[in-house]
Amino acid sequence: MPVAGPNIAGEPDALPGLTGHDRISARREKRFATALLAPAFLALIATTTFPLLFLIWISTQRMDLAMPFMDGFAGVDNYRQLLADPRFWRSLVLSLVYTVSTVVLQVVIGLALALLLMKMKRGQTLFRIIAILPVVLSPAIVGMVWRSFMLTPEFGVIDYLAISAGLGSQNWLGDPTMAMISVIVIHTWQWTPFAFMVLLASLAALPDEIYEAARIDRAGAWQRFIRITLPLLRPAIVMVIIMRTMVALTAFAAIYVVTAGGPGTATEILNLYAYRKSFTELSLGYGSALAVALLIVTLLISAVLFLMRRERAA
Amino acid sequence: MTARGHVKVEKVAKLHGQVAALKGVDFDIRPGEFFALLGPSGSGKSTTLRLLAGLDKPTRGRILFDGKDVTALDAQHRDVAMVFQSYALYPHMTVRQNIAFPLEMAKTPKTEMAERVEDAARKVSIQHLLDRRPGQLSGGQQQRCALARAIVRRSGLFLLDEPLSNLDAKLRLETRAELKKLQRSLGVTAVYVTHDQEEALTLADRMAVFMEGEIRQIGSPAEVFARPNSIDIAGFIGSPPMNLMKARLDNGTPVLAGRPLPLRVKQQAGEIVVGVRPSAITIGEEGMPARVDLVENLGDNAIFDLSFDGGLVRARGPDPLAFAEGQQVAISFDAKDIHLFDAASGHRLEAA
Amino acid sequence: MKTLRSLAISLAVLVFIIAWVFPILWSVLNSFKTEQDILAYPPKFFFEPTLAAYREVLFGSQSILPNVWSSFVISIGTTVLTMILAIPAAYALARLRVPGKRGAGFYILATQMLPPVGIIIPYFLVLRNIGWMDTYQGIIIIYLSFSLPFAIWLMVSYFEDIPFEMEEAAAVDGAGRLTTLWRIIIPQVKGGIAVTVVFVFLNAWNEFLFAVVLSGNTVRPVTIAMFNFVSVEQTLWAQLAAVSVIAMLPVVVLGVIAQQHIVKGLTVGAVKGGGRR
Repeated sequence: MPVAGPNIAGEPDALPGLTGHDRISARREKRFATALLAPAFLALIATTTFPLLFLIWISTQRMDLAMPFMDGFAGVDNYRQLLADPRFWRSLVLSLVYTVSTVVLQVVIGLALALLLMKMKRGQTLFRIIAILPVVLSPAIVGMVWRSFMLTPEFGVIDYLAISAGLGSQNWLGDPTMAMISVIVIHTWQWTPFAFMVLLASLAALPDEIYEAARIDRAGAWQRFIRITLPLLRPAIVMVIIMRTMVALTAFAAIYVVTAGGPGTATEILNLYAYRKSFTELSLGYGSALAVALLIVTLLISAVLFLMRRERAA
Repeated sequence: MTARGHVKVEKVAKLHGQVAALKGVDFDIRPGEFFALLGPSGSGKSTTLRLLAGLDKPTRGRILFDGKDVTALDAQHRDVAMVFQSYALYPHMTVRQNIAFPLEMAKTPKTEMAERVEDAARKVSIQHLLDRRPGQLSGGQQQRCALARAIVRRSGLFLLDEPLSNLDAKLRLETRAELKKLQRSLGVTAVYVTHDQEEALTLADRMAVFMEGEIRQIGSPAEVFARPNSIDIAGFIGSPPMNLMKARLDNGTPVLAGRPLPLRVKQQAGEIVVGVRPSAITIGEEGMPARVDLVENLGDNAIFDLSFDGGLVRARGPDPLAFAEGQQVAISFDAKDIHLFDAASGHRLEAA
Repeated sequence: MKTLRSLAISLAVLVFIIAWVFPILWSVLNSFKTEQDILAYPPKFFFEPTLAAYREVLFGSQSILPNVWSSFVISIGTTVLTMILAIPAAYALARLRVPGKRGAGFYILATQMLPPVGIIIPYFLVLRNIGWMDTYQGIIIIYLSFSLPFAIWLMVSYFEDIPFEMEEAAAVDGAGRLTTLWRIIIPQVKGGIAVTVVFVFLNAWNEFLFAVVLSGNTVRPVTIAMFNFVSVEQTLWAQLAAVSVIAMLPVVVLGVIAQQHIVKGLTVGAVKGGGRR
């Protein structure tokens, strides 16, 4: 780091010889950069920031496509209604249950598989390809496949297994609790390979010498896992948790295809409620308020997660 | 046509925010000269080279090429050739395309381009590698490719940013000599940035020693080596560096370790520093007492670390086995080999 | 002890393979069955394969070929537009001295906090007003909301891998800024562009929420069209399986091709927004 001479930094810039060419070229670079950035940023503003502002405005309106004659300014009425809406609170709880359970399952199963497969010398490429399959598929298709060929009573494979195991045929998507479990399992099925791939890559990046040193220091396998692997993997795990949480909070396609939020509202997480309110029940004003609520929940949760990450990093 | 490649730098300063990377430097480079910018990292030498190339612009001051003010010109319009420390070869192009790129940018006709590329490649003996890609070349070959890309321009000014630092030691010595020959035969002006004082001493016609964003001394290598104008430069140039020993003046005579030295300065009294190069120190029976602490055997000569007057003094001697570690010896040196500096200001004191 | 452990590992590996491959494999098998074979109890693993379902789905009265076309138009359109906008922006963010660069990066991240359902409600109103419901331009523009931030972030990470001397050498060689970008920089991130294209295409192909709201008779991607085979009265199981397999095919092929890069793409994309559908 160069140190400013005592007589330089304080020197007035009006001295003879001042050219300021560096500032001119910096300005030129700024203009070039702006020209490159502007189209993308205009597009981003138009497709994200503008909708956000518009959304907030809509949420202060009574806007009902089924009853357009009632439309008008509503102020905070939608939000007041929301706070008193048991269906909202229920959807919020479902969102949290869905998010926490899917994220925990993904991380635990993904980590366990990564640790197991680390030891495998051959066939890792095969696993990577298998793991990629669910991840690249459309959640809508995944939902359709599970709903039709896995969970349909009688000829769905899962139902067949349940019958064979003596549990009898279950109404997997018709029973409220079973439906929730089903959508959680489907989400976990699709996204665990993602956690697995990220954690496997992070595990592979840990240097062997650390483990050799730990063995020389007489650490057992369990101690090596708790004292070395987990702490070193923590950034990757936290990253996976953050990413998966954001996705789970706004999960839509698979649930929509499998249960559409039903039976009744048994699998109606907040995201689905906002959609149904807006596009099935056509109350765009109240639907917007629900979307804003989802945004606030997302922001709160991500703030907590990012704080967690920073604290651990420090 | 008069000789091309005259560079004049006037009061050039570069600030990054409030931090001065360069505090105002002035120098002249004559056409055809090999001019080294020498200094430790962060001293401003690379900043100066980037300003010459036009990659950065000075906050103050002017830069003139052959009398023309180029301060405001961007790199792309300056017509200078540059060899980067990392070579900066374009990895997706063949060697031929790399060398041709500056010509292409100057819209040189196709036939002339092919000829000049071949010619430049021949000058650095890589004509057999023209269809390879940089990734398929060894470090030395990449360096030559970078040189060819500079030569092909036929620019009057070559800027070289530590071009040898990524080569292994043996290749570096070979390339150093070749580089000098190449510069002579092309008759171009070369500005050469290095932190390696040995490189500067061997290659340069003249050099500027940079420290803390300033030029501390300009001169031929022989001048700078023989008469460093400050303690900092004395300590920076020469390997191992000059021994610097605390002393004081008594009526204009320096007194070191209680003994008067056989020379006088104008100044009468005060704290001073006595500098003697390791090669100028003779170890023998006569002189001031010292003790051998360590012998660094270099094969055909040796460096002796000596305890002297409560400090460390290093001497170079021809015979590694002449003295053993722990042995009591005496050291002496000639008056002509003594450099005197003012302890407070660091400036050189001239013998009267 | 040693053998017991490797046995446990092999067992776990086997369960993993079955659990993750089976649903996909089962759909593929079902797509080659007759309706009766699908409905058989217990499920049939061995049967006489038939292409009847595919024939019906591709060339029958309810052909999904127009829908496959629709999916391709949407995905390719989104990809092209995204890359045209993202590459220059990513280059500027990665390489140039722009004041407020961190702010710009943060803004891109922050846009991804907005749930898609919050984007589609206002866009639905806008597109309905300007008559862009059920149009390609309507759906492609709104797909930029998730594809663009993702593509910018992924491309930034590739641009950052290029040494700064590249631009400097090009400048000294007499190249202007745009020439440098086009001739020196872009060729060096070809691989990164390919990976980004794959991911943007995947995300556009798989998107569902926006498509549900905005699609109609003209713009009707496969993910929506598969509902043609599911109705209250009856489900055409074999044809549904065939449609699912057809919809899976392009993304699976792309995913396998890009498998080396998928972790990087997924992590950049998901932290910064793209993994959302």
